[in-house]
Amino acid sequence: MSATFDDSDESKPYATDPEWADVIPVQQYEGVEPIAPIFYTEEYKDATDYFRGVVKTGEMSPRVLKLTEEIIHMNPAHYSAWQYRYRTLLALNSSLEAELELMDSFAIQFLKTYQVWHHRRLLLTALRSVDAAARELAFVARALRTDAKNYHTWSYRQWILAHFNDEDRLWPGELPWVEELLEEDVRNNSAWHHRFFVVWQSGVRRGEVDREDVLRRELAFTKEKISLAPNNPSAWNYLRGVLDHTHTPYASLTSFVQPYTVAAAPGPTDDSVVDLENPRPSAGAELPCVPALEFLADIYEAEGGEATPKAVQIWKSLADERDTIRKKYWEHRIKDALHGSQ
Amino acid sequence: MSSFPRLARTGHTSHCKICLSGLPFSQVEVDSSRIALILYCFGTLDLLGTLSTKTSETDRQKWRDWLWEQQTSGKHGTGFKPSAYMTPQGGNDEYGDYDAPHLIMTYAALLSLAILRDDCSKLNRTGIVQLIRACQHEDGSFSALPDGGEADLRSVYCAFALSSMLDDWSGIDIDRAVAYIQRCSSYEGGYGQIPYNEALGGTTYCALAALHLAPGTTLSSPETRITPAERARTIRWLTQNQTSCGGFCGRTGKLADACYCFWCGASLSILGAGELVDSTALALWMAQCQYKFGGIAKAPSERPDPYHTYLSLAALALHPPSEGASSWELFPFNMFWNTTEETAQWVRDHVPAHKA
Ligand SMILES: [Zn+2]
Repeated sequence: MSATFDDSDESKPYATDPEWADVIPVQQYEGVEPIAPIFYTEEYKDATDYFRGVVKTGEMSPRVLKLTEEIIHMNPAHYSAWQYRYRTLLALNSSLEAELELMDSFAIQFLKTYQVWHHRRLLLTALRSVDAAARELAFVARALRTDAKNYHTWSYRQWILAHFNDEDRLWPGELPWVEELLEEDVRNNSAWHHRFFVVWQSGVRRGEVDREDVLRRELAFTKEKISLAPNNPSAWNYLRGVLDHTHTPYASLTSFVQPYTVAAAPGPTDDSVVDLENPRPSAGAELPCVPALEFLADIYEAEGGEATPKAVQIWKSLADERDTIRKKYWEHRIKDALHGSQ
Repeated sequence: MSSFPRLARTGHTSHCKICLSGLPFSQVEVDSSRIALILYCFGTLDLLGTLSTKTSETDRQKWRDWLWEQQTSGKHGTGFKPSAYMTPQGGNDEYGDYDAPHLIMTYAALLSLAILRDDCSKLNRTGIVQLIRACQHEDGSFSALPDGGEADLRSVYCAFALSSMLDDWSGIDIDRAVAYIQRCSSYEGGYGQIPYNEALGGTTYCALAALHLAPGTTLSSPETRITPAERARTIRWLTQNQTSCGGFCGRTGKLADACYCFWCGASLSILGAGELVDSTALALWMAQCQYKFGGIAKAPSERPDPYHTYLSLAALALHPPSEGASSWELFPFNMFWNTTEETAQWVRDHVPAHKA
């Protein structure tokens, strides 16, 4: 018996279905008057009455798979139905790969429901198969086409990679794939976060043993993305993350940052003198940009002494003019720096 | 200032009262977390001071009775079920595998009962400590259900909040849990839902509140669990999330959403930096999220719900606008337990075993 989301015979209530005649339905207990009761449809009441009946006797059979499928279709957050379905699949020795496939369209329809993803995680854990994990990575990539920033979907991908940690089959595709996503939308913070996870947070990838080299590559990549969209906080946060993680002083990027902190890009801009190390803001960029000013002020603050007033001056301009929603934050930075240097 | 908008207090009270009386089938997904929705409704009335004026003692007694019916005991200890949606007709003496108590719902039920000023004489305190213990995993995390299921910072926070309300930490291996929380920290300064996840406003609140709630151990104390550099980075990320419209987003580069005004704002307060919120811009944006028939939505021109209504008011209680009339005045707020200070005091006086 194969379970599908085919609605053809769903209209028949369980209560009149001869196939279910041997099951005693169990109604939901309502002792005292409930708070915020849900006004259930007849169809839902009927199905869940039979579900409670099945749970009571402990039946785990193919028809239970059909029943739980119908319930989670009506209420994807019904975690007891998911739990029972999962244990039934195991008890029946059902193909878990087939279950994953069955759930594909369902997952896309209910992307925002936690249970959908938790179920997949359980299936994949039980399967212990790198093949299945590789298939899941492809599925996640498809799901992200529907919603590129869905938190559950990203969380699931990071879990798969960390859980199976397979250098041959799973990791190699990650960096090119993230690059594609950032190509499409350079402001996708989830993609930037994933890049950090892949490069810095999950061990050392094959061919990336030379960390100095990796650092150079990441800095070049990020600078280039910043030059395309200088006001993109995701790229600047990544840059800061990389520098913090590798204990690299922010001051090493002073000459890169400077052109982004002034109104118009100074100096020659023709291609013959392009500095590959320090790509300049793209034409038409809104300058000076707040994240660059903030970065430069951080460099001055770290330098201290004579440089502190320069940091204060930048923070003042952010507080009073360029980033007034964070006025109190910039004033707090001024107070902190002056207090600290006393 | 006459041009400053008003907080539509009456409308927000009635929005929550309507939800308490029943929900359409389109909201059926709420069933498996119904006590949380109930807490948001009660919390709204508590913040607005309308619980005693706009609801009857008869109603409040019925509500207490129903909440106690969700307390359930069995092999993993005692806690509350989200609702009776899996409880078989006639009730049962002990829960089974599929109607077990839920850690997050237990937290929500306890606060709901405190808001209703229940004396908590029916609370099975040792049972709850046993449940907390059953929900902790090897890696320090907690799942919401005793035999597995979702394990993340939300459950960790609820375990910590419950232990501090009970004033009994024997159900938690604090050091292990603290290590787990620290593993969820992201390079941006916030915390993800599980290790390696993107920084998110809600789970950042869970992490910071938990780190501050837990008493010191030989390995760490509330003061040393976050280094000064980490604190500065987290404050930076949190303030960066207040967008130019006045509301907060939950992740870098996303649109503002009313619930994150609480999660990010309260996180700043926990770090002692609550005054960095632009509270006037926040209130002006909140005013636009108010729905014309009552309730507050996640963003302007969206539909309201009790979750966003309650968290918006909680954010305003912590960060009241410096302008605006008395319509914006709310009760003092306890940022660690996420409830009014008066309700927190009720918890301190009635929940710990030594007060029973
Ligand atoms: Zn929200």
